[in-house]
Amino acid sequence: MIARPAATAPRPYRFPDFERHQLDSGLSVWLVPLADRELVSVHLLTDAGAAAEEERNAGIAALTAQLLVTGTERLDAAEFAETTERLGIEVSSESSWDSARAGFVALGEHLDAGVSLLAEMIRSPRLDTGEFDRLKAERLNDILQSRADPGRLADESFLRELYAEGVPYRRLSAGSPESVAALTVADAKAFHATRYVPQAGHLILAGAFEPAAALATIERRLGDWTGEGKGHRQIEPRTRVDRRIVLVDRPGSVQSELRVGHLGIDRHDARFFPALVMAALLGGVFGSRLNLRLREELGYTYGARCSFDPRRAAGPFTASAAVQTEVTADALRELLAQLDRIRDDEPGDVELAEVRDFLVGVFPLRFETTAGIAGALEPLAVYGLPDDYWQTYRERIEAVGIADVHAVARDLVRPDEALILVTGDASQVRRELEDAALGPLEVIAAT
Amino acid sequence: MPDVPIERHTLDNGLRVILSRDPSAPIVAVNLWYDVGSKHEKLGKTGFAHLFEHMMFQGTATVDKGQHFSLIQAAGGTLNATTWLDRTNYFETMPAHELELALWLEADRMANLLPAMTQEKLDNQRDVVKNERRWSVDNQPYGSWDEKMQALVYPDGHPYHHSTIGSMEDLSAASLDDVREFFATYYAPNNAVLTVAGGFETDAALRMIERHFGPIPRNATLPGPPDMTVEASIGRQLRETVPDQVPLPRIYLAHRAPVFGSDAFDALDVAADVLGSGRASWLYAGLIREQRLAQDASAFVFPITGGASMFVLWVTARPGVSVETLEKALIAEIDRLASDGPSEGDLNRVRNLRAAQTAGMLERIGERADRLSMYGCLFDAPELINSEVSRYRAIGPDRVRDAMRASIHDRNRLTLTYVPAEAAS
Repeated sequence: MIARPAATAPRPYRFPDFERHQLDSGLSVWLVPLADRELVSVHLLTDAGAAAEEERNAGIAALTAQLLVTGTERLDAAEFAETTERLGIEVSSESSWDSARAGFVALGEHLDAGVSLLAEMIRSPRLDTGEFDRLKAERLNDILQSRADPGRLADESFLRELYAEGVPYRRLSAGSPESVAALTVADAKAFHATRYVPQAGHLILAGAFEPAAALATIERRLGDWTGEGKGHRQIEPRTRVDRRIVLVDRPGSVQSELRVGHLGIDRHDARFFPALVMAALLGGVFGSRLNLRLREELGYTYGARCSFDPRRAAGPFTASAAVQTEVTADALRELLAQLDRIRDDEPGDVELAEVRDFLVGVFPLRFETTAGIAGALEPLAVYGLPDDYWQTYRERIEAVGIADVHAVARDLVRPDEALILVTGDASQVRRELEDAALGPLEVIAAT
Repeated sequence: MPDVPIERHTLDNGLRVILSRDPSAPIVAVNLWYDVGSKHEKLGKTGFAHLFEHMMFQGTATVDKGQHFSLIQAAGGTLNATTWLDRTNYFETMPAHELELALWLEADRMANLLPAMTQEKLDNQRDVVKNERRWSVDNQPYGSWDEKMQALVYPDGHPYHHSTIGSMEDLSAASLDDVREFFATYYAPNNAVLTVAGGFETDAALRMIERHFGPIPRNATLPGPPDMTVEASIGRQLRETVPDQVPLPRIYLAHRAPVFGSDAFDALDVAADVLGSGRASWLYAGLIREQRLAQDASAFVFPITGGASMFVLWVTARPGVSVETLEKALIAEIDRLASDGPSEGDLNRVRNLRAAQTAGMLERIGERADRLSMYGCLFDAPELINSEVSRYRAIGPDRVRDAMRASIHDRNRLTLTYVPAEAAS
């Protein structure tokens, strides 16, 4: 082929500088002023994720987060929606395992009003019984709907089959139907009172604002917020380690959803950067091994991928693809062969360089939006990563060599321990899965 | 909001070029709209425009299979393409210093695709696209809604009668000859709009564009657009019930509507937001929060340009709520908007939401480029990007009410109802 056009001189890019302030209440304030922006993104993080639940109340973190946007002591649900949306603000409030996040994005001129409403929502929410009952019913309905969706059914089944009995990560962070059904508005009030506190909380602003004025608004609205939290549980992520196949029967499926994996890493794992590069090479970009083999060579799927899901404790490592029913066993063999191969052989220097170059080169593209920049500071806030995390990120990617990738693949990719979960039509695929002898097979009904 | 800067050029071969420079940006977007979509497909060839889009990533006389992706990715760029009813778009976002790589790759495949085309590549991507269809339509709860809706809203033989993904049977029938003919017909510089947005120097960018795209010959026999003529209204009420693997019933209402680009379309865009955008919207407040009949609700217009577009709503029933009760409540909200129009408060709300959403969209250089290409390709008027918010703001309650009255009524309505399969049998 003819040579590709040469690049011109790179335009330097730095992750924007930010300042941190600690309010007397314990709330940390992170400010990223960006002079050329129209919008400002505001993210308020609290230690009110699912890890902060008691297991008997599984799902209360998610429901409480959602309940917050249904009004304050002053404004009922309809009034709160009207008041915020007339400023062009759609307030979001949701939770993950390790934190809850409430926030919004607004034109800079509405920052003061937005922060005031956000503070009012967090500090004096209405926590109305009728709205709680509605959201609880909607959550139960969503679980019902999710189990009709083959991809979501596979994701949920994979966690349940992977983690040992009693480990919270065995379920979705938003809870199970049984646990959600038992929740009451009193649980939400108790959770709010003890978890939505400034201690261990973080308020992140990125975009169009003047730091001194914004800080004054924040002091005025949140400076006298008080309360100490109960903290969160330490989760012990025990899993089964025997290789086996679980087939979740979904009659009539024209594709099988595949999930193959095992325990992964936590967010503080020293191997984080080599693991990131390895997962990208194996299944994180279009030109990854899994996608090239299963899609671009074999045509078995619209896409194949893999990833880690690092949390405070170890989330899963999962390789996944939706493949046409007829090739279910062949696709699994091919997928497993790629997991073997990345362990058996060192990666090529060209493919490794390509992946590293991608992760380094794409860096400025990730921070185009104010929400992207505010979101990038979240892991620093929640996991206590160093302030120069993004300033040194590209060097740390560049430093990952062939031996590092190979070593981390041998440690962190373990097909011999893999749970192989298939959601598909058992009447079509059971026999071929038995014949393929990839591991002991158990067939279960879709829940 | 400051205007998006726009500079227009046309190459001798007819390629329309739009430049939107942001001198401070460290990144640059390249975006190419071809004026060809699934509406141009022939009978028995549904899904082909989209399958062809996949073939554009399979290498050329110059670039081997797989290299298109790997060159962009190794440069730190992202890329993709999409096909829809009216058009096909291809786009990259790159670190600014790799602009020429993206331009070269786009020009190369516009010029040199066919010599590298093989049956093996076609068979591979046919399998991939069939799996895309299984994943997004056939194996998905409610997945066939769009296909069924288009088939019922537009008459047999109308170019919008079939959906972009196409049928399995027609995908099976696609041949290398079809690839050659489609490429020769539609993939020409005078059938495309190229936008470059972000960090670049104008003179240098124009030289690169001329160098790579300039030598590509125009298609002197570009066909005219297909006949899109259709009655403005369906003329009656259509109903279809679809048993599916779904736990909760869902109702889709679809209406023929004035085309994207018309004043009435803009008014219906506002109407859809009054009904469906945000927690203070009429459907959320009425059906979800107050009456507790629906699990979720949505309202939107299809931005398409041929003959008639569509105004669509859907709502999912909560368990124990009959579809009759839900449909009645949904239509009551629609009829109220058609009879009373929105209040100034409603309009103030959706205008400010839209202003923030538009600012959010324009933060992304790739989105900016895509919208410029869209307005350039569909209307030959990229400057429309700068009047989006003011046009929306200018729409008063009477225009919304009148547009609703003219189009959104039961003589112009398809009611498509998904019900749990076991309940239906």
